[in-house]
Amino acid sequence: MLRVTDFSETSRIVVVFTREFGKISALAKGGRRLKGPFESSLDLLSTCQIVFLRKHTSGLDLLTEAKLVSRFHPQERDLTCLYAGYYLAELLLSLTEDYDPHPILYTAAQEALTMFGASETKLLGVIRFELVLLRELGQLPDFENCAACGIELTEGRTFGFWVTEGGLICPDCQREDYTQISIHAGTAAALRLLSSESEQAWKRLNLTPGQLKEVKHVTTAAICNVMGKRPKMLKYLEH
Amino acid sequence: MARIEEPPRHPYGAAVGNLIERLAKLPGIGRKSAERLANHLLDCSEDEANSLAEAIRRVKTVVRPCSICFNLTEGETCSICSDPRRDKHSVCVVEQPRDLLALEAASIFNGVYHVLGGRLAPLNGVGPEDLNINALVKRVRHGGVTEILMATNPTLEGDGTALYISNLLANDPVKITRLARGIASGSVLEFANREMLADAIRGRQSF
Repeated sequence: MLRVTDFSETSRIVVVFTREFGKISALAKGGRRLKGPFESSLDLLSTCQIVFLRKHTSGLDLLTEAKLVSRFHPQERDLTCLYAGYYLAELLLSLTEDYDPHPILYTAAQEALTMFGASETKLLGVIRFELVLLRELGQLPDFENCAACGIELTEGRTFGFWVTEGGLICPDCQREDYTQISIHAGTAAALRLLSSESEQAWKRLNLTPGQLKEVKHVTTAAICNVMGKRPKMLKYLEH
Repeated sequence: MARIEEPPRHPYGAAVGNLIERLAKLPGIGRKSAERLANHLLDCSEDEANSLAEAIRRVKTVVRPCSICFNLTEGETCSICSDPRRDKHSVCVVEQPRDLLALEAASIFNGVYHVLGGRLAPLNGVGPEDLNINALVKRVRHGGVTEILMATNPTLEGDGTALYISNLLANDPVKITRLARGIASGSVLEFANREMLADAIRGRQSF
């Protein structure tokens, strides 16, 4: 559940990200009642099995049933985990289209939510999700070759990052305005691993705080570029 | 030449049409119900209709938030805050005045309340500055409060609001509790779902 809005005395409007249909918006009649076909399952970031009727004549589908699979439980007393969950919802709401299924993104979202509830590596979980999202949208910056001249980025060098050029810039192509932050070769390798299709390899990464900062700089710039604005939840996460 | 369409007029005239439009904006009132209410108001005596109008006008001018707990009241402080039999050491934090009414109807809590005026919802642009959280912190730090009972709704945003407040008051000498959750009394374990059972086990208590 990406968004839950009360509507009338007993109903709710929900935006759900589904594995099979992508993002859908639906009216849940009686969704505010304790008893009924929804049984208090319509909560933000909860995972449910749903039955819905697609309406071709109006904007909202009709949600007829929802069975709770799991709630999102952010890590004990850690608001950042909660904000990371909200950030994930904001990205899915803003950057996915209705009825455009992305099963890989769905799995990545579920994995990220599990991670925000259970471990200390929440920032890495956020970054991994951002990169999977960019890859699924076809907006992943190029971390293999220089975005300006196309030459392969080799080890042991420092690169620039220019989001509108579409990726990392080799030292030979760098101009003053490309070099706001340096991306070290180790960070570039980490970015390649984090954005890879392998679901396990990135979990073995152990980044230094400096590398994490560089990686986050790259993903934030790419996300802001795709969204056309800064996500609301970023300021909460940065705190 | 394009024809400009006028809004539909009510057969009884613009005044009745306007009344129906306004009644239909009330929660739970649809167009048909609004027409029924308008017809009732047309049928009833002038005194009755005027007293309804006066009641609406009065409630909008007289009722305001309590200066202590932000519950709705006609005076400076609400009836609960000014009741000497209430335990002022125990403060129950709720999202809305209607939540307070639900707890009062249960007649089980003898402390006082604090109404936040909503819940933290950063995705919808509702931050701590939009709620009565600073007033709660001042109330606690002013002294006399020994327990804060978090009675925000058991949703992710409600729990998030409770967590934000409990982090804010973590260094203050006040006990912070929250409403229990889990299996309803009178139900059976066999039909309880996984989340209910998990909540019940997490919140288990000694005999």
